[in-house]
Amino acid sequence: MNGLKPFNARRLSVAGFSFLFAYILSFQFEGQVLYSLLDLRGTDAGHYILTAIIAHFVGLFTCGLFVKSQAAAKSMMLGGMGLCLAATVPFFFPLPALWMGGLIVSGYFSGCAVAAWGFFLRAYTPKNERIKSCADVLIYSNLLMIAVNVVAMNRSTFFGLGLSVLCLVIGMVFIWMLPLEKENEQNKSIKNKTHGGIKNQLILLCLFVFIITINSGLMYQVINPAFEHLTGLVSWYWAAPYIVALAIMRNLPMKAKRSRILYMGMAMIMGAFISFMLLGRNTSDYLIVDTLMLGACGIFDLFWWSILGEMLDYSDNPAHTFGMGLSANVFGVLCGGVLGMAVTSMGLPGAEVAVIALTVVCVTLVMLPPLNHQLVLLLKSHAYLAAYDNMSQSQQTDIVRQVKTLEPLTVREQEVLQLILSGKSNREIAGALFISENTVKTHARSIFSKYDVSSRAELISTLLKNQTVG
Amino acid sequence: MMQMKLIRKRHNEYVLLFTASICLAVWLGATFMLEAVFAFGAISLISLVLLVRQSRLLNDATLIWDNRILAVPSALISIPDRQMKKDTEETVVSTFGVLIGSRIYRWGLDGVHGVRLSAVQIDKERMYLTFGDKDQTMRVELLHGMLHKQTVVESAQKLWHETGVQAEISDW
Repeated sequence: MNGLKPFNARRLSVAGFSFLFAYILSFQFEGQVLYSLLDLRGTDAGHYILTAIIAHFVGLFTCGLFVKSQAAAKSMMLGGMGLCLAATVPFFFPLPALWMGGLIVSGYFSGCAVAAWGFFLRAYTPKNERIKSCADVLIYSNLLMIAVNVVAMNRSTFFGLGLSVLCLVIGMVFIWMLPLEKENEQNKSIKNKTHGGIKNQLILLCLFVFIITINSGLMYQVINPAFEHLTGLVSWYWAAPYIVALAIMRNLPMKAKRSRILYMGMAMIMGAFISFMLLGRNTSDYLIVDTLMLGACGIFDLFWWSILGEMLDYSDNPAHTFGMGLSANVFGVLCGGVLGMAVTSMGLPGAEVAVIALTVVCVTLVMLPPLNHQLVLLLKSHAYLAAYDNMSQSQQTDIVRQVKTLEPLTVREQEVLQLILSGKSNREIAGALFISENTVKTHARSIFSKYDVSSRAELISTLLKNQTVG
Repeated sequence: MMQMKLIRKRHNEYVLLFTASICLAVWLGATFMLEAVFAFGAISLISLVLLVRQSRLLNDATLIWDNRILAVPSALISIPDRQMKKDTEETVVSTFGVLIGSRIYRWGLDGVHGVRLSAVQIDKERMYLTFGDKDQTMRVELLHGMLHKQTVVESAQKLWHETGVQAEISDW
């Protein structure tokens, strides 16, 4: 089994996780199947949903405490999925007393299984390609979820539940087939070059994920109930814009300026709430609102998933890092949901609810650009700068000389570049060279242009990619 | 310094115009005078466009002023194949361009594909700066007013340090 090529292992890993995630999306984590079942039994859905989300959050958060190797990750995934399977069986029967326990167990262990997959994402997807693997798992799992939803909402809820369980079983088979590999030597060398851990970067990323995900929870509570009557359409169209956005983002060239697309995503979220406020509740209105909202969710989700994926290289325990990032996401959904419930429970008219929702969205979105900027700088510069810092002056000069520029750097630009590479901020560079911060930025832009890169992080990456020293 | 003051003053005027027109438009909107709202709305829009342009100009001018290499009292501008034009306003030569009165000729601000300084020649009286992109080249002729060769060499050295262009010194 260890003879499988990495490419196949990557496929297996993506397939296994996609099926697991499809089960979670369609059933355990606010899935349509779960909603339909609870509705069918006339039980209060709120408590069950909340319990499942909290259990899932705890699972994601704590998995890293006891899963510390790839073998343990595989065992956790298989064992966790098995327990999810057992905990889902009572839902085929009218046993509401067991349902709550089933949701706690499946919520917790599905969270652990998801976090444990971090080991396989790191091992089988090469660096800088994790955006593709992340996009693939999100696309495939959402396609599967749509299929399950269509069946559950248009045919039979129990048939939908059966499909959901089948996803889990297929996922287990793929995970069982996954080979185990020794720790990647490249990962080790990268980690050795970094100073300390990635605690600060991870906290920043979690904060980012938490803020952006509040919108999703809010949307669930504010927008979804308004279009409940369009059952047939909602069952298949709900995640379609999300999938399309993921596919577009996945296939964009690496050089594409994704930060601009993030701004577009922000505009789309605002547009969704404004449309929700101004439009009616018929089919075309739903198409507009859902397309804007879910399209934006796709853009943002892939953004932070891929950053989280790349961060795994600098982590001692991928399950811990991956679990932390995703738990921030679940916590955001939880807070957004509670916020949405609070807003709607006040019994305000639709327009006013939308205005409040829009205000919250605006406040959170205003916080995002600087946060995002800092995150990218910190994440990208951390390992590279640490590596650069360990080199002698001559080694640093060699690296700079090895990379050809479109036009030679001026002496002033060389001075600025040297300081950029030693990790100085624009303000510090300005102070060191007795020039204004604006001048430093202009020199930096000129340097980027000469190296044909678009950011500081890309510049450092380009220079160090060509290193032959150390 | 006068040039910077002029540019900043114009910028502040646009800020005032924009603020006043916006306030008036909002106030008139509250009193339901729709025609006046449209008129002041249009003025706000125009003043916003002007303000954005002036802000860019101010930004570039500040950049040029902060990184000045040489300030001279007069300049001549020439574009190959066109008639020469004389300009007697104060001129500032800097790392990122030349500021003549309230006009700016930029270089080195838009990367390697933008306008670049390509050659500098200095003789006893004048300094010739050639700059442009692949489509157009311009030449600025300055009366530099430097009396000692050491001063000229120092300016050339500073130009090379900042722009990477080696000045050609002749007739000294």
